[in-house]
Amino acid sequence: MDDKIIEVNKLSKYFGTFEAVKDVSFTVNKGDVFGFHGANGAGKSTTIRCILSLITPNNGDVKIFGESISTNRFEILKRVGSIIEKPDFYKYLSAERNLEIFARISGSDSTKKDIYKMLDFVGLNGREKDKVAGFSHGMKQRLGIAQTLLHNPDLIILDEPTTGLDPQGIIDIRNLILELKNQHNKTVLLSSHQLSEIEIIANRMLIINKGKSIIEGEVSKLLNAEELIVNIEVDNPEKCVLLISEHFPAIHIQEIKNNQLLIATDKNVIPDLTKALVAGEIQIFAIESKRKLEDFFIKIISN
Amino acid sequence: MLLKSTYNEFIKIAAKPRSYLGLGAITILVGVILFALKADGMSFIEFVTSSFEQTLSFEGNILNGNLVAFIILQMLVIHIPLLVALVTGDLVSGEAAMGTIRMLATKPISRTSLLLSKFIAGGAYTLLIVVWLGIMAVVVGKFLFGSGDLMVLNSDGLVILQEADINWRYFGGFTVAFLAMLTVSSLSICLSCFSDNSIGPIVTTMAIIILFIIIGTLDVSIFDNVRPFLFTTHMAAWRSFFEDPLPVADIRNSIVILLIHNLVFVFISLYKFNRKDITS
Amino acid sequence: MIKHIFILAGICLLSFNGLAQDATQTLNDLIAKMNSVKDYSVDAVITSDIPMVKILPTKATIYFKQKDKFKIDAKGIAILPKQGFTDISKLLAQKDSYTAVIMGNETISNVKTDIVSVFPVSDTSDLVLAKLWIDPLQDMVMKSQITTRSSGTVTILYTYGSQAKWGLPDKLVFTVDVKKFKIPKGVATDINKTSTKDQTKAVAKTGEIRIDLSNYKVNLGIKDEIFKK
Repeated sequence: MDDKIIEVNKLSKYFGTFEAVKDVSFTVNKGDVFGFHGANGAGKSTTIRCILSLITPNNGDVKIFGESISTNRFEILKRVGSIIEKPDFYKYLSAERNLEIFARISGSDSTKKDIYKMLDFVGLNGREKDKVAGFSHGMKQRLGIAQTLLHNPDLIILDEPTTGLDPQGIIDIRNLILELKNQHNKTVLLSSHQLSEIEIIANRMLIINKGKSIIEGEVSKLLNAEELIVNIEVDNPEKCVLLISEHFPAIHIQEIKNNQLLIATDKNVIPDLTKALVAGEIQIFAIESKRKLEDFFIKIISN
Repeated sequence: MLLKSTYNEFIKIAAKPRSYLGLGAITILVGVILFALKADGMSFIEFVTSSFEQTLSFEGNILNGNLVAFIILQMLVIHIPLLVALVTGDLVSGEAAMGTIRMLATKPISRTSLLLSKFIAGGAYTLLIVVWLGIMAVVVGKFLFGSGDLMVLNSDGLVILQEADINWRYFGGFTVAFLAMLTVSSLSICLSCFSDNSIGPIVTTMAIIILFIIIGTLDVSIFDNVRPFLFTTHMAAWRSFFEDPLPVADIRNSIVILLIHNLVFVFISLYKFNRKDITS
Repeated sequence: MIKHIFILAGICLLSFNGLAQDATQTLNDLIAKMNSVKDYSVDAVITSDIPMVKILPTKATIYFKQKDKFKIDAKGIAILPKQGFTDISKLLAQKDSYTAVIMGNETISNVKTDIVSVFPVSDTSDLVLAKLWIDPLQDMVMKSQITTRSSGTVTILYTYGSQAKWGLPDKLVFTVDVKKFKIPKGVATDINKTSTKDQTKAVAKTGEIRIDLSNYKVNLGIKDEIFKK
């Protein structure tokens, strides 16, 4: 059985003369939590809209479950659940009614019992009959998740699912995604401009910038988990630089600013480095590791 | 899936407060007209028959429910399209404005089915409006004023239709009136496909109707070739059912023109909606 | 010559006086016959042929009671002439308000009639002139022509049958003046009418209303409530 769930091949979309997406290609495999990352306006939502046939690409093609979305849309979308940007509902209808409306055209036979069960699952039990107009943003996000999962899709596409959620809500969504992957064998395409989210839950990722794909691969391999960026604050930076150059040639000094050195190093070297600095009578005021992934992203984008 | 989507559309229309605005407006408007006619309807009739009454006198129950219903229909020919467009003009653009269109468009339902279900639901709402107008005008009118022969003033004179000969005329008239309002509904839904906000299609629909009515009313030869093909020209085709003899050819012509307009609006809408990039 | 003129004038005056006295007698006989009918009801079918008006024949019931109660109870809408029903009897009842002269004779429906012209005494009266073609033997009006300032001229032809003994006709044919008929603009809403009507067709200047009367019930008593609206 083919493990490729989403295959995007040289996808391009122009709005007038503006290149929103250019020659983007990537693959999402079965069971992946695929992180799709880029800055605001990078082309993430446009790409996802092309995948879901909301937008017609100018070039390229998209296959889901091995079938082209343009020719087999009906059968494909029965097995896909999605939230694009913020979930929008009919404000004048209740939560239950909203789910009923979307479920009716999702190709499933969801019953009232299923709807109530799903609302309970996302933490909206007791709010079934309430009009969505009175819901907070977080509640709407939960309802959006409910709408996405109600027909038990095989592929789940989430575009910025934690936007506007409180910390507990963010944790809940993350746990849910991991549960979907690990316990229900779902495939998830997760788009976010929060790198930390992707780092924690995604196993593969694509970075996109100004409409172009920059890099794709496994999160662990891309980040090389053994390497750290460390900030060291000392009393004598020049002496510290000399010591590192002589005894730790593998350490890469990235930046020296006042009494602080920014170095890239294997984490296993840090204990020996600390001992050497103390032995060389260099006073250490602080050692702290920076967010690796953010640096990686900034480096990739700037290159 | 078309039926399921249509059922969804009925639920949405029934739940929207503005859907009841049209029904309420008709109730109030017709109520006001009925009250005015009950209070002083004979003055209105005397104004109409004044030139005849120099040598003739009219006996019988002239101000009856049939005449009242006719007067109401004539007065509301401009207003009913607005009440229809208020709901139908929002069917696509309202969803775009709300963002729900992208939720719908990612479901396993073709855009054609999605749009056709809106046309069907819009048509059903239009039918409800016309039927409600009929109930208020004819049924309530007859309840308050009794029944009787109908006196109709056309541009070529007075026609008096016998009571037994009227009900089928009203049925035919309302059927054609529904077709005319359905054209308004189709136009507004079509315009709705080109917009992402609610107000634009509604205002544009009314602007088009008013413009076409003005073109139709202006007695200028430059518009002579265009006038017969404007759908507004045939919006008053329901009145043809109250002429004697019945102008069958004119009525048939109006029905065909209106049907063609409906089909054109539907096809334009399908073309646009199927190709539209949903970015909202 | 002058003497001849005076003699001629004398003869005319005497003739006129004589004719006036004959007209008065004729009208008195007519009034007497009219007064023999205390009340009646009759079924009517009203058929109108009037330019710019289309109406199917309408059924109605007509009620009359001395001295001036009159009502037409139409099943639907009926179009009737404004003048002509009770004008003659009202006119003739006020003997001081008119002068009458026999102007000649005419045969109508094989009946030799006296043409009696009735002139109102007052200059301000709405009535300008009334002409009655009266059958002197049966004391019945065969034709009348009433001209008023407000309604123009109405001509009525009378046909008698079974109720001739009461002077009640079986058929009345009214010819009315329709020159002043106009459609008020803005009220007749043929919105965007596209079919063209023949605008050059000449509009007739008179219209006709025929009333066929049957099933008379004469002098059987009619309650006053019937005449209340």
